[in-house]
Amino acid sequence: MTNHAEIIATEKQDAKGANPPIIWPQKANLLPKEIFVRPDVFEEELARIFYGKEWLMIAHEAEIPNIGDFKTTQVGRVPLLITRDNDGEINVYYNACSHRGVQLETATSGNKLRFRCPYHSWLFNAKGDLIGCPNKPGDFPSDFDKSNYPLDRPRMAIVHGLILVTFNPETPPIEEYLEGYIDKIAQVFGGDGNLRLLGAQKVVFHANWKTFHDNDTYHAGLLHTAFQMLNWSGGSGHQTANARGHRSYVGEVTLPEEVNRLKDPSLIEFKGEASECSSASVRLFPISGMTRHLNTIGIRFANPISVDETEVHYTYFGRAEDDEEMIRHRVRQASNLLGPCGMVSMEDAAVFHRLHTAGTTPGNAVFLKGVTDDHGIPEEFQQSDEAANLPGWEHYRQTMGYPKEQS
Amino acid sequence: MKQICSDVLSKIDDLQTRYIAVIDAKDMEGWLSTFCQVAEASYVYTTAENLRANHAMALVMDDNYQRLQDRVTIVNKVWPGTYADYATRHFVQRTACRDMGAGKYEVESNFMVMTTPEETGRSTLFATGVYFDQVVVDKDQALFLSKKVVTDSSVVERFMAYPL
Repeated sequence: MTNHAEIIATEKQDAKGANPPIIWPQKANLLPKEIFVRPDVFEEELARIFYGKEWLMIAHEAEIPNIGDFKTTQVGRVPLLITRDNDGEINVYYNACSHRGVQLETATSGNKLRFRCPYHSWLFNAKGDLIGCPNKPGDFPSDFDKSNYPLDRPRMAIVHGLILVTFNPETPPIEEYLEGYIDKIAQVFGGDGNLRLLGAQKVVFHANWKTFHDNDTYHAGLLHTAFQMLNWSGGSGHQTANARGHRSYVGEVTLPEEVNRLKDPSLIEFKGEASECSSASVRLFPISGMTRHLNTIGIRFANPISVDETEVHYTYFGRAEDDEEMIRHRVRQASNLLGPCGMVSMEDAAVFHRLHTAGTTPGNAVFLKGVTDDHGIPEEFQQSDEAANLPGWEHYRQTMGYPKEQS
Repeated sequence: MKQICSDVLSKIDDLQTRYIAVIDAKDMEGWLSTFCQVAEASYVYTTAENLRANHAMALVMDDNYQRLQDRVTIVNKVWPGTYADYATRHFVQRTACRDMGAGKYEVESNFMVMTTPEETGRSTLFATGVYFDQVVVDKDQALFLSKKVVTDSSVVERFMAYPL
């Protein structure tokens, strides 16, 4: 017996059984909810966005400060290896042996200057050169030359220590791609990229990657009960957003004079000049972002695992010039304030999950706050406007090639 | 190695079972009552990955008694209504105990926590790992001076509202 959902699905499919096309609503403040839950959309996003003409944040130099340090990560389903070689240079490779394509390194981080493939013992240095491949005379073709088999590399760029990659030769140069945002990144990091790694909080959200990216960082004053209960309200603030889908947020932070709910107020103490006490964040299309909140400096490296899973590494840093007391303060503050168990952010995950669970219901999600013209993309935004996400959604729509519904 | 008398081990095991019973019951005052009421009492939750890399960052760092008290406030007063609730079921097994003198013992225990989110009603594994505890034992009872929770997984499933 055919159930109701199957009838609808069958009616939507064309004669070849292909997935129905996504038709974008005409109004600029509506999102079709099906883009968050359809596996075919996810596969198309990997191709067009994550492996397309975008730069993806994968690490910060401060995560591999010493010669021989390495980190492995993924963009979509593509494994990457990031090394600091014996000249101190940063390199990014596809994490695959140049011989038969075996994943070269499996640890998430460590220190080594040589990477050996377990299959045929091909040996690479941290510069990606093939330096050993056991063979007897006559084993390999006569013109075999080790220098033709280095580890393959994606394009990479470094901005204030932030390491980005792109898999597409047509992606614009990083300066053009991040136009207007390079100084904002420095602002989040506290001046420049001279950071010191403190560690990470990793979480897997059972939600689509766009749900995470769309809702992370913009909503603080609305969602977080902790802010209200602590009488901790934001001062003036503003957001920027551009046609590439990047956005930034800067807000003053007004701390309550008396914290009567907490016995240890160091959790929300700001060490530094009062005038410097602000929140700042930058989110880069498609998925990752960075925030400075009180004395925490964090980069949120995120990766889409599947249509309904997104892994986020909340990675925290101090400044290179910090003394041990400041480092201790940053660690104590970040550990308890942010991340999947943080006082002000634990409920983020719960909202992501509920958005995702209900994403299978029909219709559109609606953006209202800060929307002045429901057919136009806004250009100016207040502190907690939803509208600042709309330029990014228009960039998404165009990148995915989804047509707008005809009137 | 110095033999630890069965009375001490019994008090330590009673403390561990009381601990898992109160957190499964979401009794945060009961949770607090398993710790010594001294300034340096602490509860830290981190991952084996952070520990291996010698990174100080943790998921929870209640490294003084005031922060333990604040944890009770956060769970009981700040967070209710903001998340989809879930039940936990803890299992604990002592694997080592060392006498540090002056009534203090270092105890290691394996633990496993199942979770049952209210919206699915399906139980899944939430975390496994090791409790590294400093326990103070007197003539009446045992209490935690410090509890360090180290999960095997480096990645938290969704979020965590109640202490592990």
